[in-house]
Amino acid sequence: MDITSLKGWEMREKLIKKEISSTEILSAHLSKIDKIEKDINAFITMDKENALKTAKRVDEKLQKGEKLGIIAGLPVGLKDNILTKNLRTTCGSRMLENFNPPYDATVVRKIVEEDGIILGKTNMDEFAMGGSTETSYFGNTRNPKDLTRVPGGSSGGSAAAVAANALPLALGTDTGGSVRQPASFCGIVGMKPTYGLVSRYGVVPMSNSLDQIGVFGRDVRDAHMMLQTVTGYDPLDATSSKRADRDISIEGIDSLKGLRIALPEQYKDLRITGDEKIQERFKETVKVFEDAGAIVEYVSLPSLQYALETYYVIMASEVTTNLSRFDGIRFGYRTENYETLDELYTNSRTEAFGEETKRRIMMGNYALSAGHQDQSYKKALRVRTLIKQDYENAFKDHDIILSLTAPMLPFKLDSIINSPVDMYKADLYTVPVNLAGLCGISIPMGDVDNLPVGLQITGPRFGDSTILKAGLGYERAVR
Amino acid sequence: MITRDQVVHISSISKLKFTDEELDEFTEKFDQVIGFLEKIKEVDTENVEPTFTINEEDGIMKENGENQTLSREEVLENTVESQYGYFKIIKVVE
Amino acid sequence: MAKKTLIGLEIHVELSTDKKMFCNCKNQYGADVNTQVCPICLGLPGALPVIDKQAVEYAIRAGIAFDSKITDEIRMDRKNYFYPDLTKGYQISQSDHPLCAGGYLEIEPQSGPKKITLDRIHIEEDTGKQLHTEDGTSLLDFNRCGVPLVEIVTNPDVSSAEEAKLFLEKLRNTLKYIGISDVRMEEGSLRCDVNINVVDDEAGTKTNITEVKNLNSFRSAVKAIEYEEKRHRVLMEKGENTDKETRRWDEVVGETILMRKKYTADDYRFANEADITPIKIDREWLENIRENLPELPHAKKMRFIEEYDLSDYEAGVLTQSQELAHFFEETLVNVKDAKLLGNWMMGDVLRRLKDEDKDFEEMPISSTNLAELINLVKDGKINNNTGKKVLREMFETGNSPRAIVEEKGLIQISDEGELEKIVVEMLDNNPQSVEDFKNGKDRAVGFLVGQIMKATKGKANPQLVNKLLTEKIKER
Ligand SMILES: [Mg+2]
Ligand SMILES: [Zn+2]
Repeated sequence: MDITSLKGWEMREKLIKKEISSTEILSAHLSKIDKIEKDINAFITMDKENALKTAKRVDEKLQKGEKLGIIAGLPVGLKDNILTKNLRTTCGSRMLENFNPPYDATVVRKIVEEDGIILGKTNMDEFAMGGSTETSYFGNTRNPKDLTRVPGGSSGGSAAAVAANALPLALGTDTGGSVRQPASFCGIVGMKPTYGLVSRYGVVPMSNSLDQIGVFGRDVRDAHMMLQTVTGYDPLDATSSKRADRDISIEGIDSLKGLRIALPEQYKDLRITGDEKIQERFKETVKVFEDAGAIVEYVSLPSLQYALETYYVIMASEVTTNLSRFDGIRFGYRTENYETLDELYTNSRTEAFGEETKRRIMMGNYALSAGHQDQSYKKALRVRTLIKQDYENAFKDHDIILSLTAPMLPFKLDSIINSPVDMYKADLYTVPVNLAGLCGISIPMGDVDNLPVGLQITGPRFGDSTILKAGLGYERAVR
Repeated sequence: MITRDQVVHISSISKLKFTDEELDEFTEKFDQVIGFLEKIKEVDTENVEPTFTINEEDGIMKENGENQTLSREEVLENTVESQYGYFKIIKVVE
Repeated sequence: MAKKTLIGLEIHVELSTDKKMFCNCKNQYGADVNTQVCPICLGLPGALPVIDKQAVEYAIRAGIAFDSKITDEIRMDRKNYFYPDLTKGYQISQSDHPLCAGGYLEIEPQSGPKKITLDRIHIEEDTGKQLHTEDGTSLLDFNRCGVPLVEIVTNPDVSSAEEAKLFLEKLRNTLKYIGISDVRMEEGSLRCDVNINVVDDEAGTKTNITEVKNLNSFRSAVKAIEYEEKRHRVLMEKGENTDKETRRWDEVVGETILMRKKYTADDYRFANEADITPIKIDREWLENIRENLPELPHAKKMRFIEEYDLSDYEAGVLTQSQELAHFFEETLVNVKDAKLLGNWMMGDVLRRLKDEDKDFEEMPISSTNLAELINLVKDGKINNNTGKKVLREMFETGNSPRAIVEEKGLIQISDEGELEKIVVEMLDNNPQSVEDFKNGKDRAVGFLVGQIMKATKGKANPQLVNKLLTEKIKER
């Protein structure tokens, strides 16, 4: 039996029945990683020693008959923008190449409480900016389904690791699709929960009003297990919600019967050329829902056509301010080449940030500057209100919204990295969910040209259990 | 149209720097990106309130929270230069 | 008077809360370098701010005290600029939506009462401190970083250095009254910037605004304003204008010195602080703060006039500071004569403190001891002059008046028989003075009183001495 090919929840069941030990689970994954990592490059930093120690501790607990946590004995990968005390956290950037955090993110504490085994820090686009994991200072990650293609991004390392059976579970962050799109590209499940459900404390922010920790698993149950582990109100995060303390239950559903599904009309006009086969796949998928008794209707969300631009203005504005703290003084890279304070700042930042990061810092400063602020940043905050209202209307009469996760198949390495606007368009279906603070999950819906494509299920705020249940229903329907 | 001069200005407030060669290519891409963002100008947002938060709950204030004060070693751990317990940089002239 | 000076003040006040504004590090002055610092105030990536309730309450107290309108909803913004003492590359502050809008403070210059109106009071976080060393390096300490501040911004209603001084004094006094700050300029808990220019309404001209920073005492604020006012007027006189610039006050040279020119307005690229969800201010909480606000200086002064029948001037002096007013009322419980107590306090006590350049907080005499002293005089146990001597002694030793009086045997001689003997003896020894008196020289009595006082070491009851002298001289 190859342990690594099991689902996370299957591993846990076998562990509890004492059919396998936590140490065995871990060593199976470690040898898997040994074999594939040189091809995939999913990790930036491994923490083998601590992982082995934790696995031993879990085994001892099991022997003593102590209660085990939700993800006991399961190796977990953390996107490298989630801070781990005394374990290097780089954000995929030269800026933080040697950054040793003095504190743990709240989600890290939760994983430890639930007996999870943190195995390493996964690769990502620099500061989570990108959709291909090609902007990482630590080299790009490859898609396990086709090594000539990108795994998506920015949480590409986590997605690739789970898809390659290097890990059963992983965390990513999703600001505009950075969990769902790589899940779609790698053929696994990736979920962005409702904004406020999972604490952002200790997660290096990209865009504070949009960022949310997301979870990866090879099926919906795994994703749910990972989500249950990290969710919860956190007094250290003033944007976390008290509603996050409820259980996200997926009990008691078997069918999609009676589920009210909305399809946004606007997406009909927003096609990118060459995606007909993906659209075909999507239609067949919708049919699966209908055949199972769901009610499908087209709805109009008129402001959706501005979502991408609105997203990029707000995101870049927040990015700009977030990245100002990297000035070479208190932490992070400091240039050796300076004589004045201004040179200390400018050269440190210029030498340590990559091109896409620089572009977004500058986009943000453009959008926030005195002459443009009203027509860009402040305008975008208003358009965001319209988008949010459109969704609220749609969810009055519908339970979920279905769409593609990404408008394209996983693309070749080095193919569109030099065309920023094309790269941004990959986020078309995912960004509105972040703008409105909703929840969304990407679930594999088969292949196109032997490459995975994802179905996105969007739910209302705190409709996390609804989309998980719909996802489970779909998994059962196509099994 | 975004000009080279505008790019230079924005890069200077961003504390970033481009060489002359980089500047041409960067300006071209930056112009595309800014052009792309312009689209929201056409939306009618009269009488629309800005969204400052997506949360429906009120914000909170802290009263008796956990003190996370670090040791001085931890405070200084990630800096390049320190002296007498201070962070050290070159003199800031005013 | 066609030319007017327009002065606007910006005052940063550190709030004396237990904890910092957005983290739970101690808000403490003078701790060891970089020992009151955490991931949040150090601006480490991933750390998130949560606003301190006590800081908001303190700022609201200021808003209420200055009659500002308190907002319904707290929103925070990021003010972006690079500076080494700023840990995040932005300061969490407030832009479009200050906590308190408007309001005023009334001052009383020579020309009569005047309202100085406020533009706003907003909350923000303090920055760290820089130390410049001889060898060309700067050292950074972030203990102060994240300490809560209110920034109080006036409209340009102040029109002279005198008014500025009165405003600042009143402001400091009020902030102290409401218990929200130590307001110590020397420790940096109150800092003031000045914006100044001169307009000539008749000629329709005005000078460009100069901003003066780094004023670390009221005295330097006054001097800097006087200096700038003159500089602006002289240039205007010559038909020239000032530059838009930021200057700093140099105490040693006694001049303002150019820091930087302002070619364009500062662009702080304000953005919403999305880490802090807007906070609705609970009206009940607000009312609670209002009700529990200590009595403000003006209200206290009015009450002193009303309740203790003091003059406007007396009440003003005695309510100068909360400590002073409190001391007065505490002492009054035992003295029971407001006029008398007022005289002692304003005359001897405050004068002495002023001579020693001390604040009232440094007063070495307890309320009980002062009351005891005044009662000794009031009850005729010691005379007025002795009382003053005892007070001086009390200032020096801190001893109780009874102990001093007993130790030195200063109890007043009010025994008529005993004094009569002394008077008669004095008249016998000074026939010339008796003669002088009869010839109409009043001074002679003064001499005789002095001699008697000398003989009794100042302990004789002066009224009794006078009465006996007059009687006995007439008999001769
Ligand atoms: Mg300020
Ligand atoms: Zn702190």
